[in-house]
Amino acid sequence: MSSIVHDHAPGYGHDDHAHHPSGITRWLTTTNHKDIGTMYLWFSFAMFLVGGTMAMIIRAELFQPGLQVVEPEFFNSMTTLHGLIMVFGAIMPAAVGFANWQVPLMIGAPDMAFARMNNWSFWLLPPAAILLVTSLFVPGGAAAAGWTLYPPLTIQAGMGMDLTIFAIHILGASSIMGSINIITTILNLRAPGMTLMKMPLFVWTWLITAYLLIAVMPVLAGAVTMLLTDRHFGTSFFNAAGGGDPVLFQHVFWFFGHPEVYIIILPAFGIISQIIPAFSRKPLFGYASMVYATAGIAILSFIVWAHHMFTTGLPTAGLLFFMYATMLIAVPTGVKVFNWLATMWRGSMTFETPMLFAIGFLFLFTLGGFTGLVCAITPVDIQIQDTYYIVAHFHYVMVAGSLFAFFGGAYFWIPKWSGTMYNEKLGRIHFWSSMISFNIGFFPMHFLGLAGMPRRIPDYAQQFADWNMIASIGAFWFGASQLLFLYVMVQCARGKGEKAPAKPWEGADTLEWTLPSPIPYHTFETPPTVK
Amino acid sequence: MSASPMPDADAQTRIRASNRRTALTLVSIAVVFFFGIIATKFMGGPATGIGVVGAAVLLYLVVAIGRNLRDKR
Repeated sequence: MSSIVHDHAPGYGHDDHAHHPSGITRWLTTTNHKDIGTMYLWFSFAMFLVGGTMAMIIRAELFQPGLQVVEPEFFNSMTTLHGLIMVFGAIMPAAVGFANWQVPLMIGAPDMAFARMNNWSFWLLPPAAILLVTSLFVPGGAAAAGWTLYPPLTIQAGMGMDLTIFAIHILGASSIMGSINIITTILNLRAPGMTLMKMPLFVWTWLITAYLLIAVMPVLAGAVTMLLTDRHFGTSFFNAAGGGDPVLFQHVFWFFGHPEVYIIILPAFGIISQIIPAFSRKPLFGYASMVYATAGIAILSFIVWAHHMFTTGLPTAGLLFFMYATMLIAVPTGVKVFNWLATMWRGSMTFETPMLFAIGFLFLFTLGGFTGLVCAITPVDIQIQDTYYIVAHFHYVMVAGSLFAFFGGAYFWIPKWSGTMYNEKLGRIHFWSSMISFNIGFFPMHFLGLAGMPRRIPDYAQQFADWNMIASIGAFWFGASQLLFLYVMVQCARGKGEKAPAKPWEGADTLEWTLPSPIPYHTFETPPTVK
Repeated sequence: MSASPMPDADAQTRIRASNRRTALTLVSIAVVFFFGIIATKFMGGPATGIGVVGAAVLLYLVVAIGRNLRDKR
């Protein structure tokens, strides 16, 4: 980002600027973007633990062949809810939490454009989460058709499916409201001098992500609405018995589902683009190309959906189109990886925890990207469709991609948010523990998939036993490692640790670092001027 | 180093109106996509969907160009 000169107005940090309700009223009624960002982040971590517990149940069942821990129907519910909760309850709200905290601070805005709607966007999430989790306890159990909710299974499922559909509607409404807020804030509330091409890359990635959300969340809402009417109101959109076409659901779902992957990963790209320059003590290499690459990825994400459907009998021309279009995404993604490496090249690098997570992200996300290219090749994908290779691929993208970036972002900004430095030693242990255990947990899944082990099954042939046992050990270790992260963050939130300076990272140059730590409750009421 | 003065009441009203316009545009995109996808399936055939989205895009372009021309005048 270009140099920024900022003089925050006198009075920041004074008590009269920090008055707000206390106790539960503060959190229920707050319109402050920092409070709402904090709630998003804690909520997402809580859901991460819930979804993670489900992952532990899945891995416990798969620890050895045979059925020993749960019934197959419950296992299917676990894989379904794990996916839905991690995508909609953990990763997306975490990204929105970062946006709530950082977007106004980075563009010099006093708050989000629609502060009350911001509060509402958040408070829609807990009811949706409750609906998803309590669907386990209704007659027939929770949805068990996988997070993709394919008919005809979802047309035939019990009441849990209705709760899931309702939860998705609520989550979608929350996401759309959040996106409208973010776009409006970025377009209308930037500080004087903060032109679009001076915005930090995190803001750019969120601007593009928010547009993606507005375009695709209504499509998912439309798809599940049609499922609902098929289930209860006699329509036959996807019901083959009434002349509908279940494959059409897949087209509609993946028109949402593939951009959703980028909705999850683009904010992570933005965080990495803030961390790497700060710890390389160099400006981001190729800022403009990063912006265009982000936009390119977003546009391409709309024309690749059917690579999730290579085995549904698409015409050859369609297979070729979606294969090549998918491969094309490697170009803007490659630009990004190249620019991050070029930023580090000959930089005065140090390796604090945020940078470790950023480099871990770079290494593992690139690996996940490469396996994505493998999956893009139609004849190969037909062989590995619905195997553990796919599970390995998307966990390298989602966990080692998004989650590692979010961990890095949390360590990067927590000194600013809380005014307390995190425990560096514990942070590094968290990183190495996560890095090693993640690879033990997920790398063997490539071998399992290539050997033909199907996903979403509670039992498997003896030949898959060894790698499954290793994967389960890695998964348990990875899950346990995250408790360390919780401990470090709670210590910071409680102010236990070294006091953070206003700018703890020498190379950080965005507007938020010009403010004191901990950040005052109200900021930029007088807009800064960016030069 | 400099800090811009606090925006006056008029400027704040303009910003609020601008925020509302941006939000309404974005909401209408979401509404078009939501009903568009259902209409496509309900009426059958991709032509409906392409028609709905195409008409919406054209409408936005006409409105955007019209507003731009009016501002220039």
